[in-house]
Amino acid sequence: MNLMKAGCFPLFLCLWLLVLLAPPAHGAATVSTPHATVTLLSEQPQAAPGQTLWLGLRFELIPHWHVYWRNPGASGAAPVVRWMLPEGWTAGDLHWPVPQRIPVGPLTNYGYAEAVTLLVPVRIPEGPLPSGPLTLTADAEWLVCQVECIPESGRFTLELPHPGSLTGNPETQRLFAAARAQWPEADRVTGRYRLAGDARTLTLEAPGLAVDDRAEVWFAAYEWGPVDPSGAQSRQPAAAGLALRVPAGDLPPTGAVPLDGLVVVETPNGSAPARRGYAVRLEAQPAATGASETLGLLAALGFAFLGGLILNVMPCVLPVLGIKVLGFVREAGANHRRRVGHGLSYGAGILLSFLALAAALLLLRASGAALGWGFQLQSPVLVALLAYLMLLVGLNLSGVFTVGAGLMGAGQALTAGSGLFNTFATGVLAAVVASPCTAPFMGTALGFALTRPASEALAVFLALGVGFALPVALLSLWPAQVRWLPKPGPWMKRFQQALAFPLYATAAWLLWVLSQQTDARAYGAALAGLVVVALAAWLYGQWPPRGWRLGLLGAAVTVALLLLLRPVAGPDGAAPARADSERLAWSEARVRELTAAGRPVFVNFTAAWCITCQVNERVALATENTQRRFADRAVAYLVADWTRRDPVIARQLERHGRSGVPLYLWYAPGSETPVVLPPLLTEGIVAEVLQSL
Amino acid sequence: MLQSFLRFVLIAFVLHAGSAVAAPRVGEPAPDFTGVDTQGKTHQLADYRGKAVVLEWTNHDCPYVRKHYGAGNLQEQQREAAAQGVIWLSVISSAPGQQGHVSPAEADELTRSRKAAPHAVLLDPEGRIGRAYGAKTTPHMYIIDEAGKLVYMGGIDSLATADPADIPKATQYVRVALKERAAGQPISAPVTRPYGCSVKY
Repeated sequence: MNLMKAGCFPLFLCLWLLVLLAPPAHGAATVSTPHATVTLLSEQPQAAPGQTLWLGLRFELIPHWHVYWRNPGASGAAPVVRWMLPEGWTAGDLHWPVPQRIPVGPLTNYGYAEAVTLLVPVRIPEGPLPSGPLTLTADAEWLVCQVECIPESGRFTLELPHPGSLTGNPETQRLFAAARAQWPEADRVTGRYRLAGDARTLTLEAPGLAVDDRAEVWFAAYEWGPVDPSGAQSRQPAAAGLALRVPAGDLPPTGAVPLDGLVVVETPNGSAPARRGYAVRLEAQPAATGASETLGLLAALGFAFLGGLILNVMPCVLPVLGIKVLGFVREAGANHRRRVGHGLSYGAGILLSFLALAAALLLLRASGAALGWGFQLQSPVLVALLAYLMLLVGLNLSGVFTVGAGLMGAGQALTAGSGLFNTFATGVLAAVVASPCTAPFMGTALGFALTRPASEALAVFLALGVGFALPVALLSLWPAQVRWLPKPGPWMKRFQQALAFPLYATAAWLLWVLSQQTDARAYGAALAGLVVVALAAWLYGQWPPRGWRLGLLGAAVTVALLLLLRPVAGPDGAAPARADSERLAWSEARVRELTAAGRPVFVNFTAAWCITCQVNERVALATENTQRRFADRAVAYLVADWTRRDPVIARQLERHGRSGVPLYLWYAPGSETPVVLPPLLTEGIVAEVLQSL
Repeated sequence: MLQSFLRFVLIAFVLHAGSAVAAPRVGEPAPDFTGVDTQGKTHQLADYRGKAVVLEWTNHDCPYVRKHYGAGNLQEQQREAAAQGVIWLSVISSAPGQQGHVSPAEADELTRSRKAAPHAVLLDPEGRIGRAYGAKTTPHMYIIDEAGKLVYMGGIDSLATADPADIPKATQYVRVALKERAAGQPISAPVTRPYGCSVKY
């Protein structure tokens, strides 16, 4: 290494000067340097008018040295070629094979080791060629590096036609074919990128790019600046295709500039990985979409907590809360510790349910299912079973039957017993019925959870559960608050009976949801199931069975329901079309068509089971005023109905940082990037957006 | 109530992000450092508060560094900077055994033989300063203003070649930035592509 410091300086300089000063006087097809043998090749031995002639510059390098890709990475320089061609001939861009990553200490470069052939198409004009041999000349400069770097250059000339050969040289043909085989895939993939709020990381998404989980994947931008080539990149969970988190470079992309580059997929294959490249164009995801990436973990936890609090007052939770409050009234005389126990077990029930739900969601996500929040309610069977459960609890509250040490199911045991397990089960039930109520804050927080590592996703769900459990848990822990609750008395019976009606209402709502999901036959069967459940409850209430009788009743109900729900479970209980001429069904193609035609477009992502959606439609969208405004401005109103599972819609939701409905998108005329409206709509908000026309 | 909660969340988030260790950003405080020069003298960035500081990563065997020293470009800019009262620190982050690693005496000899005029040459064989600044190439240039804020990072000029003949044709980013600062104007190109050999950490 001392040689490096002193003696080598002149040696390097000499080599360098040798290369610089001694390009072959009138040029040759090959230039040799101490590190590289570089040859200019022509695919065809002669030129023809109107032809695209492919030329190639082939680098053969000594071991451990490399030359660079179009973006050399953290350091280095790409080869540069200047062409001197016959009059009228034009050379296109260099075609770069997929590069490899070359680590240099903590830095990373992109380039090629051993050998690479850069091809360039040359357009030959129509009309007669000049007479005599044609001379093609290329001046090339390239940097060749191991750790040290040597700039080299050469002048290359080729004569066409090749003297003495009219057919292509098979070795040349092979090199050209090999070079083309290393090009990125012909079709460019499109996707999106988002810059994190702190401008330190970029999230890249290419939904159309399916990549094996075991493959190593990395992204290289075509230009210096947007991405730091040296930083670690990580695969992110994605509902579809590929998502990568990459460190931002010195000049992170700003505004709506697309990011062009290469996604390189390396699959283990013996000693050398098989490397495939995909040219990608990533469009900027507008900041206005509430991009989930810009939402930090803390903010997401905060939102999730708030969302949980709000869940308490959602219509599908209030009935259960009512039951819980009733439980407190019953227990008010009991001792403090018991109350605390109830509060804690209720909270534990909720938290465990949310965690289980999160774990299930993560598992499903891992298995590649394109699912979102509320997916439980997209299964018609589950909707029917929940309706039965609501009916049973309602009948119990109405006094049709009471539960002793009944084993018929958690739904019944819930309201009757006063043990800690019952409180726990109430928490579980509250969590289950809360899932469809995507409260305003929840969508974004859950969108965040879906795109994050499992630990962060679990934390978000936990925060959601804490927010949800807190009010009731506090009531139990804070005796002073319990004092506010009414004294027990005969009114309690009436109150309990009154509480049955929200549950009947919930059952009715669930059945309405079911009616949107199935055809008439399946719906009828599901309604018959209600009668079976009611009959069983009445039988149980009149002659409380014990032992084998109880087993028989349970078995009979189960068999009856299984038979009845079979058509409901059918894969295509054809969802009734909800779109008509005024409410066109949404599709990405239709949006593109309409925006291309200059029409303003309003997209309503909704589901029958989403109460927020229904309320928004009632108060803001289906109103006379809004309808008139839409008509006045020739707004195309598209409906994306998520009542049943639809992976295309799920992907679209995720793209906008949501994992559930509602989602409202507004495309101004001629604009391809939508504005995202808030999840709680008013006529005023819609009018304001339309004003911007 | 909701608003103040959101503000709290936002502030917490910003504080959280600020504590992360990362490459510097133009417009943010430049990472402080302590480095020893060829004379054994210690230089701390904070000592130069009130003066503009230029950091130049260098490696005398790198062809791109030789392009600029060979043509006298860097020496000229070092003298101009000194005349403006700007502190110019050359930093050598080559690890022992790597290209460009020099002893203090060799570094001084290089300064003498190349007629260079930096305020000091800092020896950073462990790459501490280099990593703090995310220095990637030789040359890689940084300008820190009087308040300790990073105002420029990137290349020495705009033509990423090893050919000295390109120097007169190129925009000399550091010279332009120092001029613009002296004139009280915003720096027109605060972040550019650094080009050259990799820093030999």
